[in-house]
Amino acid sequence: MLILQLLVNGVLLAGMYLLMAQSLNLIFGVMRIVNFAQGTMIAVAGLFTVWLATRIGLNPFLAIPIVFVAMFWIGAIVERLLLRRITLRGTQGELMTLMVTFGISFVLINVALKAWGSEYVSLPYLQSSWRLGPIEFAKSLVIAGAFGTVLSAALFSWLNFTGSGKALLATSQSRIGAGTCGIDAGRMSTLAFALGSALAAAAGTVLVLVTPLGPQSGNDLTILCFVVIALGGLGDYLGAILGALVVGVAQSVLGFYLGGNVQVLLPYILLILIMLFIPRGLSLSRLAR
Amino acid sequence: MPPSALGSLRSLTRRLTVGGATGVGWPRHEIALGVAFLVAAALIGLLTSGYLLQFATDIFTFMAMAYGWNLISGMTGYVSFGQIAFYGLGAYGTALLILHGHVPWYVAAPVAGAVAALLALVLGGVMLRLRGIFFALGMFGLVQILSILFSQWQFAGGGQGLILPGALTAHAVYAETVLVAIFAFALNLYYSRSALGLKAMAIRDDEEAAAAMGVHTTRVKIVTFVLSAIPPAIVAGLVAWNRSYIDPPSMFDPSVDFQAILFSLLGGMGTLWGPALGTVILELVGEQIWAQFPEFQLGLFGLLVVLIVVFFPGGVVSVLRRFGWLPRPVIMAPSELPRGSPPALAGEAGGDGPVLEVRGLSVRFGGVTALRDVDLEVRRGETVSIIGANGAGKTTLFNVITGFVRPTRGEVLFKGRPIKGWSVTQLAEAGIGRTFQIPRPMESLTVWENVLLAALNGRRKHAAVDQAAWVIRALGMEAIWLEPVVNLPPGHRRQVELARALALQPDVILLDEVMAGMNREEQEKIRDAIRTLHEYGVSAVAGVEHVVAAIVDLCDRIVVLDFGQKIADGEPQQVLRDPAVIGAYLGEAG
Repeated sequence: MLILQLLVNGVLLAGMYLLMAQSLNLIFGVMRIVNFAQGTMIAVAGLFTVWLATRIGLNPFLAIPIVFVAMFWIGAIVERLLLRRITLRGTQGELMTLMVTFGISFVLINVALKAWGSEYVSLPYLQSSWRLGPIEFAKSLVIAGAFGTVLSAALFSWLNFTGSGKALLATSQSRIGAGTCGIDAGRMSTLAFALGSALAAAAGTVLVLVTPLGPQSGNDLTILCFVVIALGGLGDYLGAILGALVVGVAQSVLGFYLGGNVQVLLPYILLILIMLFIPRGLSLSRLAR
Repeated sequence: MPPSALGSLRSLTRRLTVGGATGVGWPRHEIALGVAFLVAAALIGLLTSGYLLQFATDIFTFMAMAYGWNLISGMTGYVSFGQIAFYGLGAYGTALLILHGHVPWYVAAPVAGAVAALLALVLGGVMLRLRGIFFALGMFGLVQILSILFSQWQFAGGGQGLILPGALTAHAVYAETVLVAIFAFALNLYYSRSALGLKAMAIRDDEEAAAAMGVHTTRVKIVTFVLSAIPPAIVAGLVAWNRSYIDPPSMFDPSVDFQAILFSLLGGMGTLWGPALGTVILELVGEQIWAQFPEFQLGLFGLLVVLIVVFFPGGVVSVLRRFGWLPRPVIMAPSELPRGSPPALAGEAGGDGPVLEVRGLSVRFGGVTALRDVDLEVRRGETVSIIGANGAGKTTLFNVITGFVRPTRGEVLFKGRPIKGWSVTQLAEAGIGRTFQIPRPMESLTVWENVLLAALNGRRKHAAVDQAAWVIRALGMEAIWLEPVVNLPPGHRRQVELARALALQPDVILLDEVMAGMNREEQEKIRDAIRTLHEYGVSAVAGVEHVVAAIVDLCDRIVVLDFGQKIADGEPQQVLRDPAVIGAYLGEAG
């Protein structure tokens, strides 16, 4: 029964990882860049939520719209003022953009350190759990997992079933093609980066309910998000579901049997293994086709 | 600097350039800058102590690290977020050698550097299979893995860290740090003027095209990676000794790496002087700023990287170059283009058998069949045109022959030997040259360096220079030979492509749409070149879509491809009158 419990926890974790990763996917899809500041954005949003809850007494779910909007604008400004100006193309351009987001993550870490110190904090909220036979469902984990899944589904629906979403998806498939259809690719880049940042922030808000976060946890989270989307194939929204499940369950199970260090190490080891052996991911949607 | 040292610098120049040529001489301000650095380093070592000496030691520590990073990331283009891995390994290696091997520190640090280099050899074999952002992220991940492993390894102190017997020799540590920085600089100097450096920069610009010019890309990358690991590893050993305490978080700290990257970027990534200038400038200016805002150091570093990459990507050196200072030397460029000598007749006679033979070749990409059961034979010195509409399979055929694409079925024989499983580099070395449909010259290099890169394949320096010079003259490119490719119009870029392929001195040269986008005059030059080819025993296979007329009178045979199948093969006039060919090629059904 223990293994079942660990699997349940893993799946719930996966729901949240999915949201964290889809926001990275969104940015990668349209702009072909990996946002290295992704994890730090998640962590900062989580810490901000804790601050709002402890200082002002704001319910964390009411904090979501606030961090969402705030990070949306931060993302939009970063894209407009900085990323857009990198004119290099190809690999060198990708690397320069990665370097810029690397720098941004250091700025965010520093701001967070200054504002909230270096401690890892969590938000005690919904501490009890539901029981279903021998399986225990921690309320916070259920809520977080469900929230992540629902928001990911909303993102997926928006991309596939609405005009503006389709425009964004079209841009990620072919910038030139989208351009000839009258889609402003530059605008789509801004939207993708802003929305990606905002979704990361929303994920951070619920993540802090189930795991302690600190300013320095950003890099771990970035790599975790990257592993999830790399497992599913970069830019593949359905593949990321599989990626999230693999990472979530593996972390839950291996973490229990082999200890916390393995839990931390796992994304990094997966990162190198995936890139070496399955650089195109598990390609769920290619199999489905 | 004493005169003898200057003298040895000059002899180094001579060794790095060709036959006492002055094309890659030492501009005076470069020597002056070097002397200024050395004098300053010596004065600091002699006159200061305490805080100032420590500050100077820090500067040279970062300079060594910035130069290490510049080698792999600036020269070879493999941006690494994990050179700090070697810093950590060097520190731990030194500490363990001192504690358990009872080795003096000045021996321990270099030995640890050697060990780190050995580890880099192993790690490089794995990590360098990754490209672009994958390599950057992979290296970053590697550091985290090492950090956690060391925090678990009790023999190395685990999470508590290690305490070493304290250093009482600040001046000696300083001196050795300066030596490592000079060593790291020398590595960069070598790269900026040598064949190895040229190959590294070619990889940075276009790794696949470099392989097609016979560059052993994996070997060059691994050598560079290993060399780039040595300076951080040795200086970290000195840092460990100097601080007398190390632990995983401080020795595998990504923000230390980040500073080295920042210094290199500020000075000018991929340049010889950038890392030194960037480190000195930012350490001196930064020292004032950090004193004001000590808690914002990390954020300010981050902000600086962002601003430099976005608004100032070339760094300090790029500004200086606008005034003609510190120009990048053109590698192995003589002061005047030598006459060059035509190459000896290509290859062994090898009888009258075909040079290139394609048998029953099929290539499928998923559900698309790009080539179906294609046969082709090219004899020595023969010129064959492969004509066919867009999508007929010409480029795929060339990609199979040059090792870029693996065939689904069938085989290719080169000089009678099957080439199954050969790499792009091996095929180029064996004597198959190619041009790309969309020209892919190395953008950041000059015409000369592009041609020389290919000429260096299997040749010693002098012979390569001779060969490159001959090719440039043969194609009538004397007016642009020192021009950076990035400034060239499309027609000239195609010429560079052809020149590169010729400089390989191949047995067969595959020309993919070599005249597309050229004006009459440029086409005439290429036609002349193709006419000359068979005089040297070089067979040519030209893929042609549009300018059929320009090639018809040059070739011995025409092969027509249509939707991946060969529909005709024979004498030009005869093939072009074939109704099936006219139908397929001009799209007149029936």
